[in-house]
Amino acid sequence: MINMKKILIYIFLSLAAISFLYPFYWMIVASLSPESEIGGLTFLPTEFTLDSYIQMFSKIPLGRALVNSIFVATLTTGGVIVFSSMVGYALSLMEFKGRNIIFYIIIFTMTLPFQITLIPNYITMVKLNLVDTYAALVLPFLLNSFAILLFRQAFIGMPKSLIDAARMDGCSDIRILYQVLFPNIIPTVVIVGILTFMNSWNEVLWALIVIRDENLMTMPQMVTLFSVGGRAESQLGVKLASAVLLALPIMLAYSFFQKYFIQSMASSGLKE
Amino acid sequence: MAEVRLRDIEKTYPEGTQALKKISFTVKDKEFVVLVGPSGCGKSTTLRMVAGLEEITEGELFIENKKVNDLSPSKRQVSMVFQNYALYPHMTAYENMSFGLKIKKIPKSEIKDRVMAAAAILEIEDILDKKPGKMSGGQRQRIAIGRAIVRRPKVFLFDEPLSNLDAKLRGQMRIELAKLHRKLDATIIYVTHDQVEAMTLGDRIVVMNKGEIMQMASPMELFMKPANKFVAEFIGTPQMNFFNGKILEIDQKISFKNDALLFDLSNLKLKNLKDHLGEQVDLGIRSEDIYPHIGDLKNYTCISTHLIAIELLGNEKLVYSEYQGNNIVARFRSDFELEMNTKVNFYLNLDKAHFFGKATGERIY
Repeated sequence: MINMKKILIYIFLSLAAISFLYPFYWMIVASLSPESEIGGLTFLPTEFTLDSYIQMFSKIPLGRALVNSIFVATLTTGGVIVFSSMVGYALSLMEFKGRNIIFYIIIFTMTLPFQITLIPNYITMVKLNLVDTYAALVLPFLLNSFAILLFRQAFIGMPKSLIDAARMDGCSDIRILYQVLFPNIIPTVVIVGILTFMNSWNEVLWALIVIRDENLMTMPQMVTLFSVGGRAESQLGVKLASAVLLALPIMLAYSFFQKYFIQSMASSGLKE
Repeated sequence: MAEVRLRDIEKTYPEGTQALKKISFTVKDKEFVVLVGPSGCGKSTTLRMVAGLEEITEGELFIENKKVNDLSPSKRQVSMVFQNYALYPHMTAYENMSFGLKIKKIPKSEIKDRVMAAAAILEIEDILDKKPGKMSGGQRQRIAIGRAIVRRPKVFLFDEPLSNLDAKLRGQMRIELAKLHRKLDATIIYVTHDQVEAMTLGDRIVVMNKGEIMQMASPMELFMKPANKFVAEFIGTPQMNFFNGKILEIDQKISFKNDALLFDLSNLKLKNLKDHLGEQVDLGIRSEDIYPHIGDLKNYTCISTHLIAIELLGNEKLVYSEYQGNNIVARFRSDFELEMNTKVNFYLNLDKAHFFGKATGERIY
């Protein structure tokens, strides 16, 4: 009876997993099939070819876009980790007037969708002469209220005496933040890192607005323009190949971080 | 000469609570002073102010005759050992101890010498490469003390360092701390709520309550001559017995009287008691000053009490009885036989009685 139940659960879970994974798998398979073969629900390509990829690379400067995307996402992630942790530190461990009000205002901004601030942000970029620069892709994203919230909560959970001890040892606030607290909140740092990197990597709308120079375009922007903008000439295989390439780095980054994430969870040993 | 002097120190928190009210005392060079009191009495706040972790609202703090009110904690030449040890979880014992020195840019070779010297004193050489997560409570405690030692401070501050240890280890560490004080020859200020720790470790003890100093004295003096009822109650286990009553002159004899008791005090040399004739007082007597028989007692009073409970402690027993609504504890030798639910005579040694004014709580005799 129990075994039956277990089997049913496994069947159900397997079906669910397939329904999530199959479209992704199909995309990869289709991108490796010749154009004429795409269309059916297949498990393995009847003919294996890199044609779609070769065509894609010949049509758009995807290499350059990949470098741009990596550069922008890395810079943004680094910036968010450095600056949001500073804000989180101030909001949790320093005492000053209006601290809570500032915190609530920051939380409030989380409720505003990016689309609402899109135009003001764009005007700011224009006024600052930053349109068509890397700065336009990075600057507006250097602080992030969600990251601030995560850091604040992580710091609030740290024993106060740890900070007292660091002060007795002669640490400045910056040193307390990065040398004493950071090594003990690695899970938070990794989560903030993954989320920021993914968000930055997937950001299309903003890039479409502030970047027109093909040399500065990010990958999602390039792929979108390529798929929607007609340069793929309605060839499904090429579109799919670009989508695979778009997803690949973020998957690699995620799998790397996830391993690290579990490791850091297991070895922090921060129990009182 | 690492003398610590507090002069009229006050602490008021922004929301208005006053944690300390004009605290003044001096810790002499190489003295071991213990701050003791119930929780919330301001002892930890006082210590944190000396450390520089808490701002001083009013008053002056001197270390080695230098005013340090506005110096940052690391520049005051004090080290602190925290209740939960506050070791950096991501660093090994060695790194924990050397971190502060590294920040001060002390040369590596000297750091190593200092850490190894401290490790030798504390016998922790074999755990220097372990992280705090892999250590026992006692080991963490030693590392925390080691971290304080390597800085070669003028004053050591201990904030309830033993309260996270189990009873057996606490006893051991207490002895080791006393030894350490002699070895280091340093000024120590130590906060605890445990009066046994205070009595065994302190050269002098500051008893605090509600942000004020109740008494500062040697352990013996605190015990023998408590300055007020609070200290009398706080120091000594079991707690001192108290009887509430009046000082009266009855038949030309100075007496202590309430509804149930009448003690003749005329044989005591109680000049000061005469000044308090007619006043409400608390008469205090410790359990060890109550005897099961007269013995060589000269000034005594005998009451026949009703036995409630006996606690056998091995060499002695605590005898809990009741007399006219007063609960009384006496400490008898354990070979003294008693039967439950019987009457037992208590002989109170009035020579050892303490008198406190009811209104002020201050000692009047």
